[in-house]
Amino acid sequence: MGRPLSAEEVGSRLRARFGDDIEVADTFGQLAATVTVDRYHDLVRFLRDEPELACDFCDFTGGVDLGPDGGFEVVTQLTSTEHHHDVRVKVRLPSTEPTCPTISDLFPTCDWHERETMEMFGIRFEGHPHPVKLLLAEPFEGFPLRKDFPLMSREVKPWPGVPEGEEVEDDE
Amino acid sequence: MAQGGPDVGVITEKTPIAKIKPVRFLLNWGRRYSLWVFNFGLACCSIEFIAASTAKNDFIRLGVIPFAHGPRQADLLVVAGTLTDKMAPVIKRLYDQMPDPKYVISFGSCSNCGGPYWDSYSVTKGVDQIIPVDVFVPGCPPRPEALLHGIIRLQEKIRDEDIQEKFRSGTTAVS
Repeated sequence: MGRPLSAEEVGSRLRARFGDDIEVADTFGQLAATVTVDRYHDLVRFLRDEPELACDFCDFTGGVDLGPDGGFEVVTQLTSTEHHHDVRVKVRLPSTEPTCPTISDLFPTCDWHERETMEMFGIRFEGHPHPVKLLLAEPFEGFPLRKDFPLMSREVKPWPGVPEGEEVEDDE
Repeated sequence: MAQGGPDVGVITEKTPIAKIKPVRFLLNWGRRYSLWVFNFGLACCSIEFIAASTAKNDFIRLGVIPFAHGPRQADLLVVAGTLTDKMAPVIKRLYDQMPDPKYVISFGSCSNCGGPYWDSYSVTKGVDQIIPVDVFVPGCPPRPEALLHGIIRLQEKIRDEDIQEKFRSGTTAVS
């Protein structure tokens, strides 16, 4: 069993291989690599197959809606069960017709994760073997985790609560 | 009654003896203390529901028998937990399989009205949109004692019930 690589060590290896196609950042001791769409598949394959990195386990693939101007982000978390380090891979996508290559051929677990991301955010995963809804009922329309998705109950009656951190302290 | 079948046993809307007052009393007394319950546990409420069936609270002393093997043997359906739009057709189907006369207890805020998921995109806001409900038990989740109270309320309802009226008013689901 190898030793865990620090974020800096992982970052320098990825920079050496992918150059300007990725941006690396140290997030709380863990590397977060933002990669261009066309190198995403290569990067995940490199992280999996490079013996020093050996990220052989995919925790999850998910999506983030960054608001009307920010577009979308696909986030994939990889873990090495051999070296015990984690790497987070992010892909920025445009807000109109976000499309991302699938990595379900590298990690079969991503099949369901990508299907969930697809139905929740409307992000298309190119090359996915079975792109149908996972959790939602089939007639469901819209992408519920997008920020512009209207919650009908709230349209009728606004949320009566107070956002966290803005509560009024009553007790002494 | 099916042709050639027995004249006693099955209760239907045509059972004439059910009109006679002492018989009605006896019939309802028997029915309310032999509710075979069908567990429809969907979330944390079902844990409280199961707790109500075990030694400490023990709803079998009220005549509620845990648990029917399927809807076709059940008299009482307890919907305990969050009903989603995807699950709604299933509960309708299982309810329709239960033999008349049948009763429904909606247990917990989620099945009453959506509860903390009142603004969710996927949660049905109340099981009474799908099937008729006799007793609503509030709480998030309600304690087992609350279910015992709900069962007693249902038994009071059955005690005062006219069985023929129950059939006439239509126990089939609102569609």
